[in-house]
Amino acid sequence: MVSNGSQDIKAEMATSEVQPDNKTRRYDRQLRLWAATGQSALESARVLVIGASATATSILKNLVLPGIGHITLLDHCVVSPADAGNNFFFEGSSIGRNRAEEAVYRLAELNDSVQARADTRDVADVLASDQSYFFGFSLIITHNIAPVLLKRLADLLWSNPSSPPLIPVRSAGFLAEFFVQFHTHEIIESHTEDSTSLRIDKPFPALLQAARELKFDAMDTTDHGHIPYVYILVRALDDWKTAHDGLPPQTYAEKQEFKSLLNAQKRTLDEENFDEAVAQSYRAWTPTITPPHLVELFADTTIPSTPFGHLLAALQSFSRRPPHVLPLSVTLPDMKSDTESYVRLQNLYRTQAAEEREQFRALLRVPVQNELVDLFVKNAHGVQLLKGACYGALDATPEKLTAHLGSLTRETATHLAFFALDAWRSSPPRQSGGPTDSELREHIVSLVPSVELDEKEISDAVGEIIRAPTADLPNVAAFLGGIVAQEAIKMITRQYIPVNGYCVIDLVDTWTGVLPS
Amino acid sequence: MATTDAPITNGINYPDWEDRYYHVDQVLDNPGPRTDPDSFMAGDGVKNFLRNQCKILVIGAGGLGCEILANLALSGFKDIHVIDMDTIDISNLNRQFLFRSKDVGQPKATVAAEYIMKRVPGVKVTPYYGKIQDKDDDYYMQFNLVICGLDSVEARRWINATLVNLVDPENPESLKPLIDGGTEGFKGQARVILPTITSCYECSLDMLNKPTTFPICTIANTPRLPEHCIEWASVLEWPKVKGDMKLDTDDPEHIQWLYSVALERAQEFKIEGVTWSLTQGVVKNIIPAIASTNAIIAASCCNEAFKIATSSAAYLNNYFMLIGTESVYSHTFEHEKRNDCPVCGGESLEVSISESWTVERLIEMLVEKQDIQIKKPSLSTPTKQIYFQAPPQLEVATRPNLEKKVSELVPDGGDVTVTATTLPFSLSLRITYT
Repeated sequence: MVSNGSQDIKAEMATSEVQPDNKTRRYDRQLRLWAATGQSALESARVLVIGASATATSILKNLVLPGIGHITLLDHCVVSPADAGNNFFFEGSSIGRNRAEEAVYRLAELNDSVQARADTRDVADVLASDQSYFFGFSLIITHNIAPVLLKRLADLLWSNPSSPPLIPVRSAGFLAEFFVQFHTHEIIESHTEDSTSLRIDKPFPALLQAARELKFDAMDTTDHGHIPYVYILVRALDDWKTAHDGLPPQTYAEKQEFKSLLNAQKRTLDEENFDEAVAQSYRAWTPTITPPHLVELFADTTIPSTPFGHLLAALQSFSRRPPHVLPLSVTLPDMKSDTESYVRLQNLYRTQAAEEREQFRALLRVPVQNELVDLFVKNAHGVQLLKGACYGALDATPEKLTAHLGSLTRETATHLAFFALDAWRSSPPRQSGGPTDSELREHIVSLVPSVELDEKEISDAVGEIIRAPTADLPNVAAFLGGIVAQEAIKMITRQYIPVNGYCVIDLVDTWTGVLPS
Repeated sequence: MATTDAPITNGINYPDWEDRYYHVDQVLDNPGPRTDPDSFMAGDGVKNFLRNQCKILVIGAGGLGCEILANLALSGFKDIHVIDMDTIDISNLNRQFLFRSKDVGQPKATVAAEYIMKRVPGVKVTPYYGKIQDKDDDYYMQFNLVICGLDSVEARRWINATLVNLVDPENPESLKPLIDGGTEGFKGQARVILPTITSCYECSLDMLNKPTTFPICTIANTPRLPEHCIEWASVLEWPKVKGDMKLDTDDPEHIQWLYSVALERAQEFKIEGVTWSLTQGVVKNIIPAIASTNAIIAASCCNEAFKIATSSAAYLNNYFMLIGTESVYSHTFEHEKRNDCPVCGGESLEVSISESWTVERLIEMLVEKQDIQIKKPSLSTPTKQIYFQAPPQLEVATRPNLEKKVSELVPDGGDVTVTATTLPFSLSLRITYT
């Protein structure tokens, strides 16, 4: 709302004069990323972490600090001397005490507003006798738990589409991987960096009219040097189309000609607004269309019957009508202009956006909360509906693994090494010590028997795993603590785009990669 | 507040309990497929160096620094020094996990050091509450490695140039690997710099995002964005109304004043969007920061430090960047050394300008040029002074040159030396005229 009178100003001053409260100040640096909506999603989330390893407590630390609502850490083991050595949330005095209780006690100190709970039961017992327990959380994370238990948990959660997402994390020495299991994931605020269309190619009537009405020739030098480039382009394109059977510049030569026509309008060499028009001239021939990822989504018949699904259906109806665009988004970039022209142009866009938002609302077959509609329309070009997969599904489709081995060789080789370690851990106990190179290779070959493996990548990955099969290195734990918490935050806030598949990490050569499932 | 080094509360010879390093020892007892067998002294050799001899310096005890200190301590580094000139603010608490509400106002370096020593016994952390520029070459010479978790480009340039200058080809000990981390929101980077051998911080200056600046004429005459109104309040109105009073962007009263003035101007021009938070963000140039990104980047830095100190695995060559906004994207690559890098390159930088350019115009260009970015440069040729920013007498004496053409003072192909008080190096330009 534009407030004009001095009364309005005073009213606004009175309400906003209060400086931010302590909570806003504490979270200032993150609120600038995910805003109050993201923060409130975090604060109502309940996260369960299974296994109080150094990696697990690092993940929790990075959720407690930004103010997650609730954490439960589930672990029945006692702190060993090795645990006290690699985990920042244990001390010497922790040795012999329950791991969950010791870690939760110190994690809770990081942020008073987080509810933190230790659960000292064995996850095997909970899986056997209290399965509904897992459905009381909004997200579940595991680290290096027994493969058979992880499989049971993943299957249990996958069996119910409304169950919480699961992030199983695996690590050994310098290598790690994690997976994000979910059925579908709805994102309105993807924070995509793709810029929105200004509709230069399909100007709405008020914009076209305003551009046509401007009398460039009658302007003095100052005004001429401050015409916003949007008007310059809309008008130039309109003129061009009139002379070219209604078509925009298409060939390279035509585009060059269009630019030189813009340049020819300059009165002096240094008119920045015309320079901007030339720089932005691609907007004249880049058609405003429905983004491909949305076209694909619309083609999908299983759009969920959630508010998001209803909004998506309305978006599809909207984009089917002429001029076949998404509802207008209002952010006008800064450009060379005088204040009045810029504010007027901004108001043209705002008015049009408000009208299109109402048209959009009318297309909703099921009513949706107003704030959600506004948010959706504002972010329409970036909305996403991700379809996920069940943990382990990739390993059950050797042809996919084979394809990945060709294009994502090192990621797949590292994933196979972890698969082999799990398979080794699940097979009958050996005499002593960790797995051998040949034992792990046997498991890999049995999974993808007919493939010629990249010897260097396989031996690099397998070699690192047999070197340190049970090592939860402090730096690797800290790295995972950050990267897994980041994905958890993206899942919980439904902002930004999470990993869909496995994220594979090698901290010898320091790289990360993603294996789609 | 005490600014001297803290007393040694934990000796290096603190007895480690059995199995303390069960996890780390797995990679110190055995080589991996990508371990160089000639430099890796598996077992006691490497453990003794890491735990009893290696001395590491951490610069910055903030978002990255807190994480770095904890990681190093748990990895087995036992002689750690940390420098930080800041005190703790409430907005640090969402990520700087060694600090609590009760610590607000205390020096970061001291509080962080004490916390680490309490939680990880046997590790000695020596804090210095002050500036990196306070310390001399001898100080930096005592370390095996340096890790930076800084938010300032200027401080990074200073330590980078200092460590490059420290290298004495006759003395291999003088080469101090520098590991540098940085984050912004969900994005970050970690890199390994071997001074004089690999690309240095200065070599990559052009990779930095250009800072957002608004032309004064826009701020004064044609504001369009709320940011323009805020800049008007802080750049033009504050000095006009408050005279010599220095703007303290940490003082809520000052921010309040700027906010009110900016809001009033915005109302006048019918511009929307001036808020307290935006005002603070613009005048403090606030960069979003979260615990998770800091954890990733700090862990990468410490992992490289660990690999370099132990030779247990190959280390990063030489740049790792990560973007977490859309899935997880990262890129690991070798950033190339620049032969015309003013710090480590040795060759002059070729600058081609018009014959009509004045000295003032050249200075403007140097300040703005992405791969130079020198604030307040002073210029001289091998035989004469062109313009000096300080001391005042010299500034007055050389000021008339600002209006002269560069071509009157420097021959075609001639050298110009550029210096700035903030940077411990000079830049050689070779000027040619178009």
